[in-house]
Amino acid sequence: MPGVTIRGLSKRYGDVAAVLGLELRVEPGELVALLGPSGCGKTTTLRLVAGFLKPEAGEIWVGERCLSSPAAVVPPERRRMAMIFQSYALWPHMTVDQNVAYGLRLAGTPRADRDRRVTDILKAVQLEGYGSRYPGELSGGQQQRVAVARALVVEPEILLLDEPLSNLDANLREEMRFEIRRLHETFAITTLYVTHDQAEAMVISDRVAVLQDGRVVQVGTAEELFERPRTRFVAEFIGKTNLIDGVADGTGTVARGRLRLRVASTDLTPGAPVAVSIRPHQIELAPRALPGAPAPPDANVLAGTVVRASYLGDGVDYQVRIEESDVVLRVAGPAPPRVRLGESVSVSVASGACVPLPSGGG
Amino acid sequence: MPGVIPRFHAMDRSAPVWVLTAAALALLILLPMGWLGYMSVSGERGVTLAHYARVFADPQLQKALWNTIVLAFWSGLLSVAIGAPIAWLSARTDLPCSRAIRTLIMASFVTPPFLGAFAWVMLAGPNAGYLNKLYRSLTGAEDPLFNIFTMPGLIFVVAIYTFPYVYIMIANTLGLIASDLEEAASILGASRFRVALTVTLPMVAPAILSGFILSVLQALALFGSPAILALPAGFHTITTQIWALFHYPPKVEMAAAFSVPLLLATALLLLVQKRLLGRRGYASVGGKGAQRRAIPLGAWRYPALLGCLAVLGCAVFLPYGILAKAAFSRAWAQPLTWENFTLANWSFTFLYSSTQGAIVNTLELGVLTACVGAGLAALLAYVTNRKLIVGHQLLAFLALAPIVIPGTVLAVALFIAYTRPPFLLYGTLWILFIAYLTKEMPVGYSQSDATFRGIHPELEEAGRILGAGRLRVLREITAPLAKSGIIATWCFIFIGVIRELSASIILFTPNTKVMSVVIFDLKEEGQFGAIAVLGIFMLAMTFAVVALMQTLLGRDVLGPRPSAGAAG
Repeated sequence: MPGVTIRGLSKRYGDVAAVLGLELRVEPGELVALLGPSGCGKTTTLRLVAGFLKPEAGEIWVGERCLSSPAAVVPPERRRMAMIFQSYALWPHMTVDQNVAYGLRLAGTPRADRDRRVTDILKAVQLEGYGSRYPGELSGGQQQRVAVARALVVEPEILLLDEPLSNLDANLREEMRFEIRRLHETFAITTLYVTHDQAEAMVISDRVAVLQDGRVVQVGTAEELFERPRTRFVAEFIGKTNLIDGVADGTGTVARGRLRLRVASTDLTPGAPVAVSIRPHQIELAPRALPGAPAPPDANVLAGTVVRASYLGDGVDYQVRIEESDVVLRVAGPAPPRVRLGESVSVSVASGACVPLPSGGG
Repeated sequence: MPGVIPRFHAMDRSAPVWVLTAAALALLILLPMGWLGYMSVSGERGVTLAHYARVFADPQLQKALWNTIVLAFWSGLLSVAIGAPIAWLSARTDLPCSRAIRTLIMASFVTPPFLGAFAWVMLAGPNAGYLNKLYRSLTGAEDPLFNIFTMPGLIFVVAIYTFPYVYIMIANTLGLIASDLEEAASILGASRFRVALTVTLPMVAPAILSGFILSVLQALALFGSPAILALPAGFHTITTQIWALFHYPPKVEMAAAFSVPLLLATALLLLVQKRLLGRRGYASVGGKGAQRRAIPLGAWRYPALLGCLAVLGCAVFLPYGILAKAAFSRAWAQPLTWENFTLANWSFTFLYSSTQGAIVNTLELGVLTACVGAGLAALLAYVTNRKLIVGHQLLAFLALAPIVIPGTVLAVALFIAYTRPPFLLYGTLWILFIAYLTKEMPVGYSQSDATFRGIHPELEEAGRILGAGRLRVLREITAPLAKSGIIATWCFIFIGVIRELSASIILFTPNTKVMSVVIFDLKEEGQFGAIAVLGIFMLAMTFAVVALMQTLLGRDVLGPRPSAGAAG
């Protein structure tokens, strides 16, 4: 089974660059999510991989075959790929069986073999017995499954998914995330998955590629992206975070006014502007009046006041103003609440949870 | 985002499509219109404005111009006065039988106006008119109740067939306004009347105005009704005057100079109408059908129904009734007794060579134009929707452009363009074919455009990625999905062609008569029985095709119905 290699890919629409020097490697059998806000070029990238668009620069390789380059584009029908569309794109004039069998029919698969494979795949997506229905007679979730079956039945080398869950309601969407992950584990097809939903990307994929302005800014597992974002954009896009802009005043500390934070790095350039990302759930609050447990030696301990506390059932969402600074931190605390609105608190954050990021761009 | 992305790079394939369609559209529109403009300013010694000067100095032509303005304005106003209340009643209130009313309005919409005018000659001619005779026998009066051969008579007959345009605009707009907006006003203490006046009316005001403009445009371009009702009364409109300028000796330059202002007026009015609709700053209009609750009419339910039926009686029941009676009578003005009953009109119509030839010509032209037109419209709509070639916006514009050309003006232009080398088409059916194709292209294109807009490009891409080539996708996916829409386009064009009069009347020759022209000729001979038979035949064909089309589209020809779901 081949992987996909994208090198220096660029595509413009008029004056606007949709994709700009994009680099990405998808290993054989791997599922990589292309994650980014709308307009970041993720759908254009997918359509370039599918062969619907021709790149202005760069190359797309699948295994040993170069499928796209500015010189030549192998048409979509000869790429041995399958794609699941945002609209599902089920043909309303064909039954579920006919929809699913279409790719096999094109490939010239013998009738008996075709029927068997259609039956098998419909069973795999839990749609046994729906073969003679028309797409219009199915629910959104069932249509989604037909689209998945139609793409998988041809046993493609590469599977492309373009925001396939965005038309489903919230509950079904969550269920289908696990379903797609399960199918990927069963069939292990090299897959590119486009989404703007970071939770979806994290559940479904082996690795996530975060796209910004037509470029991949960071690729990694969900954990890597969350724990060690490399840019401010990634930190803000993946999960909630507090960003504190400051200046490195040592190789391992960042200062903002009178506030000093030890961070998870020892090679900062003193004097350089640095932003520090702190996840709300990695901050601990304790009432200042009580002698709390001794803080670990490398923790930052700050004094603050709770200025907002919203009870959410499974936790409490706080805003804490840090004393002698203009910083207000978002903190995810446990329920039931241990501190109250207006209370003076001590705020402790392990230095390992303070991720320094280059301040300027993105 | 996918919507703005050009789907395929087709520079290589664009050339033949471009050349073909551009040539077709040029032949249909640019060449005739160029000749029209040129002819209107060409003198023996170069460019001259003499024709325009003569046109506007001629008192008879001035009179025709004024008559047209009077006719267009008042019939537009009357159309609004009829169409707006009916639209409100049927879209917003608990009016009984509103489905039947809608069907009857559709009947009025598809009735060729010149047939209606003939019927009203038989109904309200001053001497033999059926209603006038009835009135005289009931009251013993000497004078007729109505005289249809007057300007008010003409305005009335025009308005009862153009009010559906107003109805469509308003009913479709009302269908999109949520009742909440009205109820929000009620809860603040506004009376029902005040809600209608201060909330509903302002929201549909653009629709009313644009319906008014559409009606005015219809009246401006109309040839049949003025020719039948105004000429016997001794007055002309622009269209009949242009037609008269073609009588021997033809004054083509004058006709051209007289056509250009009509063309400009039409274009200007349509521009205004487009602007009005484009400025829909109304958040509620344009969304999906919101919750609506019928306003109870109470004691007014049946009087309101009666009012609607009175209008539709004038537009449908009375005219159809008198046509049916005339078709089976020896003398249409006499009571339908056993002695007066005959089938001779039918045998005459279908066996007489001149009418027979016209029927054959009409059907040939109808089928040919509908096939070519639906094909061309589908090609254009596919190319523009999928943004297949560079400059596709220009193609769309050209396809819609003929909407501003009144039939009579188009005929003058085609006459000039195709009576000289290299295209000597005058005297053949081809010139009629070109006229019809041009005239129907905007309707055909809009219909096809809607069809392809409803077919998501991803449906085609899904086929491509699974291994089907472009042509195979077109054949196995796009074509089956577009089929009913394309057949509906065919129907629209066919109906338009078989009833066409205003261009045919200038372009026909003795060998190339069509049904509408024969009906017009038979009137000169006083053959009302045969007219009635041809009229009924034409109506029957129209209704059959309309029924087919409604089945295919899953909606009626008047546009979206509030309850209609997503139609293919």
